[in-house]
Amino acid sequence: MSPINRINKIPLLLLTGLFFLTSCNKDLPKAIPIVPPANGVTPTLATLLDDPSFSILKAAVVKAGLLDELADPTLRFTVFAPDNNALIASGISMDAVNALPAASIIGLISYHIIPQVVTTATIPTSFPNLQYPSILNPAPAVSPLLRLTTFPSKRGNFAWVNNIPIIAAEVTAVNGVLHKVARAVAPPTQFLWQRIVADPNLGYLEAAIIRADSGAPAATSLVGYLQNIGANFTVFAPTDAAFKATLTGAIYVGLLPLVTQQLMGAGYTAAQAAAAAPGIALPQATALASTPDVFKNPALFSALKAETIKGIVVYHVLGSRAFSVNLPTAATNVLTLLNTGPGLANHPGVSVQATFGPAGVTAATVKGLGNQTAANIQINPTPAPGGTSDQHYLNGVLHVINQVLLPQ
Amino acid sequence: MRKVLPFVAALIVANLFSFFAMAQDITIKGNVKNATTNENVSSISIMIKGSSEGTYTDDKGNFAITTRRPLPLELELTGVGFESQKVKVTSVDQPIQVNVKTSIALGQEVVVSATRTPSRILESPVSIERISNTAIRNSAAANYYDIVANMKGVDMISSSLTFKTPTTRGFAGSGNTRFNQIVVGMDNQAPGLNFSVGSVIGLNELDVESMELLPGASSALYGSGGMNGTLIINSKNPFKYQGLSFQIKEGILGLTDPTPYHNANVRWAQKVNQRFAYKIGVEYINAKDWQGDDYRNYKRFGTSGQIVPGTRETDPNYDGMNVYGDETSTNIKSILNLIGTQAPFLQGFINTLPAEMLVSRTGYRENEVVSPTTYNLKLSGALHYKITKGIEASLTAYWGNGNTVYTGSNRYSFRDLKMGQYKLELNHKNWFLRGYTTQENAGESHNLTVTTQLINEAWKPSGGTTGWFVNYSQAYLAQRLAGKTDFDAHTAARSIVDVGRPVPRSDEFKAIYDQVRLKPIPLGGLLLDRTDLWVGEGQYNFSDAVKFAEILIGGNYKQYILNSEGTLFGDKAGSPIKINEFGSYIQVSKNLFNDVLRLTASGRYDKNQNFNGRFTPRVTALIRAAKDHNIRFSYQTAYRFPSNQQQWIDLFTGNGRLIGTVKELWDKYNMTSNPVYAAESLISGNPEVVPYTAGKPESVASYEIGYKSLIARKLLVDVYGYWSQYEDFLSRRDVAQKKDPAGGFDLANIDGYSIVVNAPGKVKAYGWGASLEYILAANFVVSGNISSDILDDVPANFRADFNSPKYRSNLTLANTAFGEEQRLGFSVSWRWQEGFYYQSDFASGDLPSISTVDAQLSYRVKKSLFKIGASNLLDSRYRNGLGNATIGGMYYLSYGYNIF
Repeated sequence: MSPINRINKIPLLLLTGLFFLTSCNKDLPKAIPIVPPANGVTPTLATLLDDPSFSILKAAVVKAGLLDELADPTLRFTVFAPDNNALIASGISMDAVNALPAASIIGLISYHIIPQVVTTATIPTSFPNLQYPSILNPAPAVSPLLRLTTFPSKRGNFAWVNNIPIIAAEVTAVNGVLHKVARAVAPPTQFLWQRIVADPNLGYLEAAIIRADSGAPAATSLVGYLQNIGANFTVFAPTDAAFKATLTGAIYVGLLPLVTQQLMGAGYTAAQAAAAAPGIALPQATALASTPDVFKNPALFSALKAETIKGIVVYHVLGSRAFSVNLPTAATNVLTLLNTGPGLANHPGVSVQATFGPAGVTAATVKGLGNQTAANIQINPTPAPGGTSDQHYLNGVLHVINQVLLPQ
Repeated sequence: MRKVLPFVAALIVANLFSFFAMAQDITIKGNVKNATTNENVSSISIMIKGSSEGTYTDDKGNFAITTRRPLPLELELTGVGFESQKVKVTSVDQPIQVNVKTSIALGQEVVVSATRTPSRILESPVSIERISNTAIRNSAAANYYDIVANMKGVDMISSSLTFKTPTTRGFAGSGNTRFNQIVVGMDNQAPGLNFSVGSVIGLNELDVESMELLPGASSALYGSGGMNGTLIINSKNPFKYQGLSFQIKEGILGLTDPTPYHNANVRWAQKVNQRFAYKIGVEYINAKDWQGDDYRNYKRFGTSGQIVPGTRETDPNYDGMNVYGDETSTNIKSILNLIGTQAPFLQGFINTLPAEMLVSRTGYRENEVVSPTTYNLKLSGALHYKITKGIEASLTAYWGNGNTVYTGSNRYSFRDLKMGQYKLELNHKNWFLRGYTTQENAGESHNLTVTTQLINEAWKPSGGTTGWFVNYSQAYLAQRLAGKTDFDAHTAARSIVDVGRPVPRSDEFKAIYDQVRLKPIPLGGLLLDRTDLWVGEGQYNFSDAVKFAEILIGGNYKQYILNSEGTLFGDKAGSPIKINEFGSYIQVSKNLFNDVLRLTASGRYDKNQNFNGRFTPRVTALIRAAKDHNIRFSYQTAYRFPSNQQQWIDLFTGNGRLIGTVKELWDKYNMTSNPVYAAESLISGNPEVVPYTAGKPESVASYEIGYKSLIARKLLVDVYGYWSQYEDFLSRRDVAQKKDPAGGFDLANIDGYSIVVNAPGKVKAYGWGASLEYILAANFVVSGNISSDILDDVPANFRADFNSPKYRSNLTLANTAFGEEQRLGFSVSWRWQEGFYYQSDFASGDLPSISTVDAQLSYRVKKSLFKIGASNLLDSRYRNGLGNATIGGMYYLSYGYNIF
């Protein structure tokens, strides 16, 4: 009898059982990747431009070297797309696209593309406007994060980017959304300050700003801010005539008691002096206020204190960008930079209002707390130098108005 | 009167006769052989019947006893694995030859640890498991520690190849402070690190005589700790186990990409004369360690958290379980907002991003920072001297040195860890007196999380305007502004900011790594720890003096000297913290009703200078219902003083500061004048102050009933059931303190702390276990067990770290000697444990069930033992704790010489 035969059968059975049992170890749990939502394939923003009505835009996109990006299903963009008619109306024909230097086309097209998906439903309806950076970096050497911003907005059934109407329902692509716009959305190229300096009709405003800045360090000066790409303003710019009128009145009011006192010193009775003084003060005030140099006149420094001038100037500036289409239809108070001054947080600001016609804003007003009547924005959205409303600059928008706004 | 005289005369004559006889020394010489194989048998105990005189056979099977007793004499021969025999000696002229027969006897083993007095295992009044040297020799496990896992009710945690931590009745973990390991009478816990390092620095495998496992509360005899159990490992006395033994084990780890495993053991023991014997031993292991490779994403909330989907490539805030350095995380939204204030034209866009954009730094995987090469050197030596026939003095030294990996609240790489234990002991049948010290040196051990975090900082700081997170935020924003999706922008940003990141194993990486790991925390990752323990203890058994009951008394004194130079504990360089502890115990046993009932009552009192004294009673009853049918009842209590770390830790971990329970540490951080708030109360927005509460020892009371019987000498049955109640659980709690008391609760103004608290309420644990061991024909033995542990009534929001499967089982088929001349041996064992939800400071999550098979086949010729074996035969990978190494199969061939 061999030893193996003596072995009970039970152990052998058990042995087989062991191997059977042990085969049930599962694989060790592994890390599970998070799978991002899959990207669709078509249509892409690039294929949407294949529509013949976008042929000029597509040619420009190709020339700007941006077609590949719009064709990349992994990227996400919103494109504001002017069709051929809109571009031609904006002065950009196919010939112009071919003729313009690539750099100009890149600048123009880049400003029509924002690197996030903004559907009509998500365009903000609030005031002030939100900034949506485009892919246009005006100065890559300064910072790779520098971007020119666009201002999509919506009021009721109307939507705009800056002051350009969006004219058709959005078209959705796998890599973003396309909004058809009525005109080319021109990127701003200058600072607000450049316009104020260059505009012959805004000489008083320029002088007033310089006067307001006297003593302030350059970095925190108004002039500095008006040339700072980080700023985001709406400037209500009173014309020279408006300044002249306001200043004449103000100087006259200041001169009148002085003239009266001088006359009484020269032997006039009070009644005589009061009667004669206006005739002397008014021509003097008119003469003093006749040029922007009025702000440099040391004799008037006590009457036109830098602080007072600064208060008036900042009362014309909103810390946000408001195109005329963004103004409310009912008179509404909005805060100005004056509210950032000490103790002025509760100042009601200025009251703004716009009237819409079928083709957009037909009239708009802004009224200071101290003004009897509202000032009118001079509606003319054509480009500088002629335009006087919705003038868009790198750091804000400028509207010319016909009165100086008085905070009190 | 006349009748009396002859009687007295006879008495005198008898006395005279014996006097003369005593004056004459005789020496009985002999040799013992295996009746089947005709090989010499060593370590057979030979006692002169009716006396306490005896000796053991040496490695050649020879023995010699010198006695003054007169012939004829009767010798009793006993040995593990052999039938007992009696031999009459009538003459000493010729050496006597005895042949012993191998046998398997169930339930006859003698255990000591259950009552601190020897008793048959069958009659132990509390549950106990014993592993004999024969079992070790015939086991398939690669390491004797692994065999413990085959006992019923045992859970094993493997932090790495050389770091195994057994536990019973729950609360398993690498650093288990509720389970004592006593090796050769010495607490094996590294005193500063607070975990037992038995498998790293303990006995050489050839020097292990037996292991006794006491599941359940055992403070009544063994003091603080041992709430859940105690493992006692005994070594081989050089008087009994003599000669040269060695074993060489060569193997591979894993079947796919196998790596080598080398293990060599040598033991030499010599009985120089009747009084003096000595032994020395060396064990060396060198292998490529198992490593932690769980790269699942872990979302942390303070000291708890959960496994979530995500990988490094797909989650910007990925924090891999075994990936370190990626714990550094911040919400880049706050950085983007700062960019927005500088570039207002981007603020609108930034506002559209989510409020929480958590991003973590890129970490390093465990296998990129920890060298897999592990080594372990154990040296031991002992001098034994019999001062008189009854008193044996011994001087014992154990010293170990090695690399291993440990899982605590972080993973730690123990490099060049050294620990020495030195003991002087006097032993008598009725008493012992011993003093020992544990000298620990953490060497170059370092915290992997802190080290890798600092490697990242050394390469590129996280903070600052040019820091990693600012660069990341800028890169992310630039990518978004180029039209990339959030997902792609994160991916691109990481690849941009990680350009130039030190590549693991490159010279640049090594230079930074070495610089960081060798600087103590918090400037580096080094754990500087040279804590020592000094212990004196003694015991006296009055059984010879007092007859009406067996009375045993004992006591001990412990002093811990915490020395971390302020890097781990709240000590200072040059002024270590001393913690004194003393305790004493008494045990009274009495047999009643003709030995049918044996009652034992023990009580122990302990006092730690930082805590109130503690009394722990134990009552046991053993009913000998019939011969070899014993029913046992016990009520046991145990307690645990807060560990040294729970008392005195003062460690910044990268996420917050861990502090101990002593008032000195609260004062150090002004936590009374500038209060701390519960972390969860800050999250819910109702800040709630947490006042200082002195820590208390945690305690457990446990009731157990068990039955052990031997049926027909072939079937050994053991079953038990227990019910325990824990109180004042020691746990941790996250709190926060304001940096500037006048400021708010924003993240920048708070410091996080983790404090020690006693959890409110009582927690119940209960369980049962059953085992059968059956002798089949031809020496085959089949054994199996199944056990269960359940924790109940856990308070809400309390993390118990119970870490025990509801069910686990073992099945073993073995034969220690079969085949021609009984040269063959084999064993196959299967172990299974159910999956469960694993909790720890390091990580919590589901742990799948584990099923493994170990097997070995051995062939013995003369003194040589050839063995081929495998643990985890099917190489099925498993982890027995979250964050721990992934264990695979191990296959080895071994050659052993004179393995007894």
